[in-house]
Amino acid sequence: MGEAIVVTSGKGGVGKTTTTANLGTALALQGKKVCLIDTDIGLRNLDVVLGLENRIIYDLVDVVEGRCRVNQALVKDKRFEDRLFLLPAAQTADKLAVSPEQMKELVTELKREYDYILIDCPAGIEQGYQNAVAGADRAIVVTTPEISAVRDADRIIGLLEQEEGIEPPKLIINRIKRHLMDSGEALDVNEITTHLSIDLLGIVMDDENVISSSNKGEPVVLNPANRAATGYRNIARRILGESVPLMSMDEQKKGFFGKLKSLFTK
Amino acid sequence: MTQVTRKQLVMIKGTKSGLVLRLDDQCAYSELMSELEQKVRDEALEGTTEIQLHLGNRYCTDEQVKELINCVQKSPHLRVTKVQSDVIRVEECNRLIKENQSETYVGIVRSGQVVKADGDLVIIGDVNPNGKAIANGNIFVLGRLKGIAHAGAGGNRDSVIAASWLEATHLMIADKVETMTDELTVLSERPEMECAYIHRNGFIAIDRLQELRILRPNLSTFKGGS
Repeated sequence: MGEAIVVTSGKGGVGKTTTTANLGTALALQGKKVCLIDTDIGLRNLDVVLGLENRIIYDLVDVVEGRCRVNQALVKDKRFEDRLFLLPAAQTADKLAVSPEQMKELVTELKREYDYILIDCPAGIEQGYQNAVAGADRAIVVTTPEISAVRDADRIIGLLEQEEGIEPPKLIINRIKRHLMDSGEALDVNEITTHLSIDLLGIVMDDENVISSSNKGEPVVLNPANRAATGYRNIARRILGESVPLMSMDEQKKGFFGKLKSLFTK
Repeated sequence: MTQVTRKQLVMIKGTKSGLVLRLDDQCAYSELMSELEQKVRDEALEGTTEIQLHLGNRYCTDEQVKELINCVQKSPHLRVTKVQSDVIRVEECNRLIKENQSETYVGIVRSGQVVKADGDLVIIGDVNPNGKAIANGNIFVLGRLKGIAHAGAGGNRDSVIAASWLEATHLMIADKVETMTDELTVLSERPEMECAYIHRNGFIAIDRLQELRILRPNLSTFKGGS
């Protein structure tokens, strides 16, 4: 019996889809059988980030309306043999096409076959959110070091805490820009976690490669040298129950010359 | 024979603060009214006399009380200053109990959440921005108050808001609203252990928690010393 984890944030554009894609990929890399569900009906893009857009035949709405079986709609990511699948959202329907009960049923069915089911939640707190949360056992709240994102995260955490049958949500702070945190222009990690007072699951540094790799349809986590990838890999290991220390933000500050300097000063 | 000495339904007593009309609480209301009318007319008075009405164990509706007051005040010399009754309705009693109770909320009042109390409200945890705490009585936050707090929502202007960390966006007491603009927060460098109350000048003021003892002595429910 697998576990269903919903990735949510309240605010849009903080990196829910990117996080879902990368965590799913990282868990598949760890040898787990993973199914990703895109619940952003009408505005789907998890398929694009994974590079699976062209292979979609059926979608979530087709499944719940009985036009196909779940297995027919699942898109397999060939890079991971039989370990990473995507259930894409419909692009032509809207969020009311699916009900929370249907989602719950679907997730329960998928949990039998997969170790992890990651549910990509749409922005907002309406029906789309209700659907995404319906079948989840755990929740991950993604935020960025911006006040607006933290406010919305707070709202979402409040809603998640009232949801029954779901564990207390965990936090991911995404898109951390070291220099802004140091100068005090962005909220720092401590401030955010004490404000929201939930467990921190991990931090992900801001990195340009996240965008370029998303555009190529290759989750950045596939590139182990990347600092954002390290963040995602650490989070995946924590999801699996390992205790991994929080990555230090220091290293990336050094540019080429910094690295050179530290070589000589050692 | 039965009417040997008719019991007086309206007893008049003189006190320092004026006359007390003690109304019988066993007779019919109509009888009482007619006797009261008579008594009021009988009195040969000058100037204005202050009257207190004691209803005893009779429960009177608001209309009846009004009627009684009007009846007395038909005389140009009488003015009712106080109506006292020994009985109240169960609902009112329950409301009073609730208003004097203190409710405790443990946890964080997050954005979009509202915590309400009929009496005092104690929050053990933070009130985050856009979170709201409303109470008919006082609000005490054992944590950071960073959202909205409305004390004395029923209109009690003596209510206070106290917090370990008072950094609210909006403070409301009874009908007063204070948005915490920069000018206000500048007053205290560390918004630690503070309270908000309605100042004599009618505006919401913020002071150290320790001042409450002097500002609102009635907050303390302990009487006497030990």
